Order: sequence, then structure tokens, then C-alpha cells
Amino acid sequence: MQTNIGGRIMSIYKIINNDVGNFEGIKYINNNKVKFIPCDPANSDYQEYLQWLDEGNTPEPADEVTE
Amino acid sequence: MGGRIMASTINSSTSNGIVITPDTSGEIELQANGVTKAKVTANGLQDANGNSLRGGSYRNLIINGDMRIDQRNAGSAVSFGYIVDRFIATGTGSLDEVVRSYQQVSDAPNGFDYSSKLTITTAETAFTDTEHIGLAQRIEGQNVAHLQWGTANAKTVTLSFWVKSSLTGTFSGVFQNSARDRSYPFEYTISSADTWEYKTVTISGDTTGTWLKDNGIGIRVNFNHGCGPDRKGTVDTWAGADYRASSTQTVELGENLNATWQITGLQLEVGEGASDFEFLPYDVQLQRCQRYYQDFVTDQANMIGEAISTTRIVWGGVFLPCAMRATPTTTVHGANGLAGYVSGYNAVSHYNGGFTMVGMTRNGGGQRSDGSAVLTTGVFYQCRLTLEAEL
Repeated sequence: MQTNIGGRIMSIYKIINNDVGNFEGIKYINNNKVKFIPCDPANSDYQEYLQWLDEGNTPEPADEVTE
Repeated sequence: MGGRIMASTINSSTSNGIVITPDTSGEIELQANGVTKAKVTANGLQDANGNSLRGGSYRNLIINGDMRIDQRNAGSAVSFGYIVDRFIATGTGSLDEVVRSYQQVSDAPNGFDYSSKLTITTAETAFTDTEHIGLAQRIEGQNVAHLQWGTANAKTVTLSFWVKSSLTGTFSGVFQNSARDRSYPFEYTISSADTWEYKTVTISGDTTGTWLKDNGIGIRVNFNHGCGPDRKGTVDTWAGADYRASSTQTVELGENLNATWQITGLQLEVGEGASDFEFLPYDVQLQRCQRYYQDFVTDQANMIGEAISTTRIVWGGVFLPCAMRATPTTTVHGANGLAGYVSGYNAVSHYNGGFTMVGMTRNGGGQRSDGSAVLTTGVFYQCRLTLEAEL
């Protein structure tokens, strides 16, 4: 699933890492929705994200850790 | 006796005490002044109206069956997603035309304050193939493990509800497991248009299939409002298939512009025969809903935090009123109600930084929010939270 913003195709999922670069979860942005999805197999939003990955999609990478 | 009850056997010589066996009517009535007060029937002990006198608190496996709790929408109409708490509009993504409006309304049968109302605002010409729409509650596996579905000891359950529609005829719904590879279509008939009618449906538990007993989906209870032929199955029969309606339902509600359908008093309980609806105290029902969704309404519990940079707020943590089913998805709202916003501590200004909140657990927490550079370092901000751990 992707969305077209200003002529650019944007992924609606973005990886969120903590300050030392470890994976924390996923940020979901689509239209007026912005939410944080935790890495919990029982979370239905996370299940949807995993299905989205299985369909061959790729999330935006996490922001680089800055010193 | 009033001539109505003639026990064929009253036997006090057995080791089990006094045994009263009814005549061919199959019922024993308990009367006072010639008026029936209670009955013993093949379905157990009943009141004079045939309602089960089965007792016990928390016997209703449906949460928010009286449609009272509406944290998300507070009575506003929605076209998809969750309507009142725990009830979700379901449907295939490939629907051609149909548009629905769901809303918590105060029109309800005697004894109830609310119902959930569906209005078809754009009709589907015809439901084809696997197309379907409906209203569902997904029951957590831990709450239905005692039904022992999927085993030879599977228990019988009874579904009861009040329903009203602008259309008459045969409607249907379905019980399904989590994987949707076990389905049991059931039917009910609405006889009079725009009139509240009480319905009961008794279902023999499924003795095969996989039925989750953990914090996943235990049972799906789905009411259908339009279905293509590929998702219809034989009524009152368990099948190893993904059905959403019975093959003999006569009403495809979604094909009728401005058609309405309302429901309340939904109860699912163990045994044959329905008991009176179990009204839980408001605070108890709210907390049951909060296991799956919580909304920190602005005037109830704002999160307060300090910006430690132009892009990051560190929040004071919160303890949730009850543990959620799973680690929740979190959404941050400004005092203006918009997602991704935070507001100044005085709530005068609102800042769109695409903020989320990291660090919430099933019990609380909430560490930080990161977004774009719209903050002033050292200034306090506030937000409203919504937490979602639906099935």
C-alpha cells in the first residue's frame, strides 16, 4: 500500500528506531492518520503491517542516528 | 393445578429424592393464584415468558451488547471501521457502489437506551462473487475458551437480540473462527417493518476446527447486510468454509437505498434458551471496552510533557485503567482533535509535527514523541491519546 503525495509515491510505513539504532516499531502515515504501531504479534495493526511486507512492500527506513 | 399441569409421575422412592415427570406437554409450570410464574421445560428453568432463568454474572459473552459505549464517535455517524465500541463494520474491499452509515442512536426497545443503526446511503446494484458487508463483534479467545469449541465437548450457545429494519424477510448472520475456515450461518425473520422484534438463535458448538483460546479472535459473530453467492452457505450447518451469510436469506439490505437496520440487546450465552439481557454497570462495561480501545478525552487525562529539542517531547507516563489486550497502537492528538498534532500546555496553539508516541505498553507508559521541528525547547506541551488493541 502506497500513497501519492505531491506526485511522489510515498510508503505509508516508516521504521522507528530508538536512539541507539534498535528497532522500536513502525510509524503509519496516511491522509489524516498518524499512529505508532508497536512490534507486538498480537497487535492487529502490526499483523496488517506484516501482511503488507509479505506482499513485497518496503517501508521507509528509519532516520539515521545522529551524535 | 388449574387443570393445566398433570404430572404423569411423582416418585419419592428413588435415591435422588422427589422426581416429578411432566405429561406429554413436556413442561412443568409453577403457578401462584392461577398465574404461571416459572416453568421447567426441555430448555431448562424459564420465567412465564419463556426467558431462561439461568443466573450468573458475566454470562453475556458479547461486550457492549446494549450499544451504550461509543468512545470513538460519541454518536456521530461513520461509514466504516468501529461504530460503537467492540462492533465493527465488515466488508470486502472490492465493493462497487454500496455506502453505509452507522450510528449510535437513542431509538431502542423498552428497557434499552441505545441501538446501532445502519442506513444504506448508496445502494449496491447486486452483491456478486465474494462481495459482502456486515456488522461484527470479534470475541477474544480467552473469553470463550470454556465453550470448548473444536472438541467433542463443545457447548451449545444461544444468541439473543432486538432488531428492527425498514425491510422484512429472512436475514442471516454467521459464526466463524479466527481463521474463517469454520462457518455456521444462522437466520432470523423480521415480520414487520420498522418495528422492534426480539430474536433468539441457538447454535450447537463446533466439534471440529481450530478455535483460539488466547488473546486472539475466539469467535466472530457477524450479521450480514448483503452477500454474493460465493460466500453463502447452508443455514444451521457447520462448514469448513468462509461463509458470511446463509444461501436462503431473502434480504440483501445493501441493495436497497435508504434501507435501515438496527440492533441492540445482543447477548451470547452458554446453553439452550436466552435469559434476560445482562445489564452491567456503566463503569464495568466501559472498562471491558477499554481492554480494546481507550480514548483519553481532553478534559479527562491530558499527557503533559516537555520539549527537549525542536523535534522531541518527553512525556510524563500514565497508568491505564485496565491492561489492554495487546501492546496498543498509539495516536497523538492535539487539543484541536487532529492526529499527529500536539498543543501548547495552555492549548492555545497547535503544532503539526506528524507526532507519534513511543513506549506505551499494555499497562501504560508513554516515553516520547518525535516529529518535525515545530517545538520550542524547554516548553511544555500536551496531547490527547487514543490507544487501540482491537482484535
